[in-house]
Formats: sequence, C-alpha cells, structure tokens
Amino acid sequence: MKKHPMLKYLKEEGPAGPRLPLIMCPGCGVGQVLNYTLRAVDTVIHEDGLRPEDFVFISGVGCSSRLASHYLNFDSAWTLHGRALAVATGALLANPKLKIIVFTGDGDAAAIGGNHFIHTCRRNLDMTILCINNGLYGMTGGQVAPTTPLGQTTTTTPYGNVEDEFDLCRLAQTAGATYVARWSTAHPHQTIKTITRGIRKKGTAFVEILSQCPVHFKTAPAEMFRGLKKSTVPLKKAGRKETQGRIPVGEFCDIDKPDWVARYQKIIDRLGSDESPHE
Amino acid sequence: MNKLHVNPTYCKGCLICVEVCPTQAIRPCPAINAQGYILPTEDDMRRCTGCRLCETVCPDFAIAIETDEEQGG
Repeated sequence: MKKHPMLKYLKEEGPAGPRLPLIMCPGCGVGQVLNYTLRAVDTVIHEDGLRPEDFVFISGVGCSSRLASHYLNFDSAWTLHGRALAVATGALLANPKLKIIVFTGDGDAAAIGGNHFIHTCRRNLDMTILCINNGLYGMTGGQVAPTTPLGQTTTTTPYGNVEDEFDLCRLAQTAGATYVARWSTAHPHQTIKTITRGIRKKGTAFVEILSQCPVHFKTAPAEMFRGLKKSTVPLKKAGRKETQGRIPVGEFCDIDKPDWVARYQKIIDRLGSDESPHE
Repeated sequence: MNKLHVNPTYCKGCLICVEVCPTQAIRPCPAINAQGYILPTEDDMRRCTGCRLCETVCPDFAIAIETDEEQGG
C-alpha cells in the first residue's frame, strides 16, 4: 500500500510502540498544519540544499504543541507553557545557523506567553513562529481565550463572549517582526508557500493559521473547513462593505532589516579588530 | 486510472478529503469501521486528476493517491 508522502519525516514507531495515529481529535486543524509545515520543510530541503539536521522544532504546551517532540523525525524540544520562544531564543543564540520553527497555539503565544511573543518580535530573532489559532483553549475543555471572537459561545462564556479578540498579526507587526502573514487551514497552498517564505526569511517570521476545533465548536470537520473559507477574505478585498466582518488573510508585512544575531556579530567584529576597551 | 490508498489505522474519518476533492472522485464509505469512523472510499476514480489536494489537507497522514505513472502503467 502506498503511504502518505510526508510520513518520511514522522516517527511512526517509538520505543514504547507505535506513535501514530496522531493524538488529535478527528478533523483537528493541528494535523493539517503539521502536514503543510512538512511540505514547506520538504521544499526548503530540496531547493536550498539544507539537511534535516539543520532544523529544530520547539513547542510549548497545548494541543498544537504536541507536534514537535512526539511525532517529528527532527531535533525538537517540548518546553514550558508559553516559554517555547524563550527556549527557541537560547537555541538560536547557541547556534545561529539553525532553522528554528516554533509550533505554538493561541493560548500559548497570546495568553501565557504574550510577553515572550512580543519581545521575540521586537528583537527580530531569526525564527519561524507558527501560531495555530482555533479561538479557544482546546486541551483544557474549550474555555474562552484572548483570540475568541466577540459574541462566540464557549464553555466559560455560555451567553457569548463580551471581550474583543486579539489581532495577533497586527501585534507582531507593531512589535517589529519582519514577516507577518495569516492564513487558515482551508488555504493549503497559500499556507505552504507562506511557511516556505517564513523559513527562508532572515528575521522573525510570524504565521498565524486559523484552525478548526470540531469538538468544542460541536460542528462537523468538513463544515468547519467550509466555514473557515467563508469567514475569511483576501487582504486586497478586506475593508469593503460586502466583506465586513470577515477576517482578512494574506501577507501583512515583509520587510528587510538586520536581525539580532547580525547586529550582535557587528559588535563582535568591531571589538575583535580593535583593542579590547577594558584593557 | 489513479488509485486511492487509505490507511485504516491512521484515518479518523473527518472526511475533509471528500470535502476538498474538486471532481468528487472519492466519497464517504457506507460502512463504519471497527473504531466507529466513516472512511473515504473510491467513487469514480476515472474523475481523479491526481491533484493530490486530499493528500495535502489530510490531518492524519492517512490518504495517498497512486497515479498511473507510479503504477508503471
């Protein structure tokens, strides 16, 4: 029987028995994001001549964060809740040649890890942050999250959410990330292309991927998938009267500026050539 | 004719593959498997264009399309 082409990057067997199927619920968008990411990594490996050893996957805690260490056949770290970016910073500064990909969820990046997130963007550290946004806390039972849309019912907001949601892309852009984009799981080819660009980008690349949680929104996966397509609008068409209330998707910013490591290297070069200032 | 391969251990029956198929070459299987999932099955694979969109969107790495060339035909 022919196997799925991306299974070559996954650990099918572990020391304690088979690791697949994935632990995610049926129709979860997290598995789809893993599929898209592996396709982007596959493209980069084949076109840019990188080896699998050049990649490191880091994740925190949450549904999305089960991906990195348990299933991938790459170097990976499963870290503290919200602190994936702090560990990723350490990994990058220890070896700036690594291609670092961080899997994070909306709770992990926007709620408990909010400060790590904005400061990683501000420092412009060279890594790719993939935020899988399903609009609630999936693993703990579907509670309201900072990214839950206004009026959405969840287990802790049974009469509708009264808070405005966080726009993570605008936050990342304002904080100083060099590449910011948003797509949904219902945009497979766009997401793969964007993640590929994010991996190649020198500097912080933040990609938010709107995802479905069929269990907590109590909707069939295929229907949620259709809904994601209907509730989003390409950036060019956003802001018009007929597209009001729909979430803009696309590339929000793509700028070039030296990343943290490049700036620090300049100081090392300057001091290395001169006399040490302390002598 | 392209061939559909579904791994019955990995598939969780979300049927997103059936939703995205642009030519309706696959459909939900009428029978339920041992885990209670409805797996996708071939409808009319003559319609399959080999676009592999089902492979791209599969969250469980369970589906694969074998094209004519891969079958050596």
